[in-house]
Amino acid sequence: MFEKRYLGSRFTASLMLVAAIAITAVSGLSYMKMREPGPDIDRVVPHAGFEHKRLSDWFEGLAGTPADTDIYVQEGAEPGGTVLILGGTHANEPAGVIAAVVMLEQADVKRGRLMIAPYANPMARTHTFPQDAHPQTFSFRTPNGVTRAFRYGARITNPVNEWPNPDIYIHPESGQTMAGIERSNLNRAHPGVADGGATERLAYGFMELIKQEKVDLAIDLHEASPEYPVVDALVAHERAMELAAMVTMELEFEGVPIRLEPSPKNLRGLNHREWGDNADVLAVLLETCNASAGRFRGRTDEALILTGEDKAYEKAAGLGRLYVPWESFDKRFEERVARHVTTVRLLADNLEFVREGKGVTVEGLPAYQELSDLGVGAFLSD
Amino acid sequence: MILTWIYWAICLFMVILVLRSLYREKSLREQWVAAMVLVPLLLRVLMIK
Repeated sequence: MFEKRYLGSRFTASLMLVAAIAITAVSGLSYMKMREPGPDIDRVVPHAGFEHKRLSDWFEGLAGTPADTDIYVQEGAEPGGTVLILGGTHANEPAGVIAAVVMLEQADVKRGRLMIAPYANPMARTHTFPQDAHPQTFSFRTPNGVTRAFRYGARITNPVNEWPNPDIYIHPESGQTMAGIERSNLNRAHPGVADGGATERLAYGFMELIKQEKVDLAIDLHEASPEYPVVDALVAHERAMELAAMVTMELEFEGVPIRLEPSPKNLRGLNHREWGDNADVLAVLLETCNASAGRFRGRTDEALILTGEDKAYEKAAGLGRLYVPWESFDKRFEERVARHVTTVRLLADNLEFVREGKGVTVEGLPAYQELSDLGVGAFLSD
Repeated sequence: MILTWIYWAICLFMVILVLRSLYREKSLREQWVAAMVLVPLLLRVLMIK
């Protein structure tokens, strides 16, 4: 609009420069707040009995690095197996994160041992992806009116912690080639490399934990875009398939439809493949439907995260481009968290049937309908 | 280390060129574009991540 009116002068040049620096400073400070968001953001209130540890307790190479993350361990009175739960492998899949937090705050372990990593990749929580316009936080209210806020992060490790990525990432264990950005994706970095990049070292830490603690069942909580084929699904390593099939049937009986997918043998670096291949663990991954990380989405705000409602996805559904029956589909955040929590509970309940003497009994977890009806805030502590 | 300094020198050279363009430009729109381009270059020269 100004192109044909040559009004520029030294004064306007200086003004423009000051304005550009001011805008950058304000947005930059807001962005950097993601790195140190304050004590009230991402706060967790573990249920009595949980012991707080760090992943570096299993792999010293992580100590003092941004890759080190919290691990909470609760052991029941009766001996049994060990279940490991990861939330936040991808920090832009919030129902997985919050399901892990709900279980951390509600689980009362009676038999066996429960280990929870609510923020599996802490380096993915300190940024949002450029041009995705995601809100930095989303929140819930507890029954006493306390606001519990959590960061909405990114799929990959913050470039501040790991940069630059190569054009092509060669998965160290298999030699499989992937897009360069996958080097910073925790769920392409398994089983990890002790002296590799930050994300590879983080993956190595989880592999060490699984091996040293002889984890029986490892569950990674994810979400997928509605245009992605693996939505509302349980992906299982072949040794976990029997357990996964049992749980799939039980979920159907409980009115929670779910797909059962075998872990592809030729897709390397994913936890359900590498954990299962490299340790005596039953490895599964769960997916719910998250429109806020989808490519078709329109307005991207907290409401989209929590309701899943989006006009662009409605249109895409009308054109038959989605893998979910959009109109009749329950996309609410509480349903997605309820789905994760229920699936984890059933996996733990049924573990005894495939590993004798390794059952894990967890009480206190909200039932599917209860969580879906009352909402997430009802199951978060003050 | 040498590569870092070569990179830094290129960035500084770019900053000088863009600054020159900013102050010589008579179009307000082009001045705004130059100012915006200048910010990441300045951050690189100042080695701010």
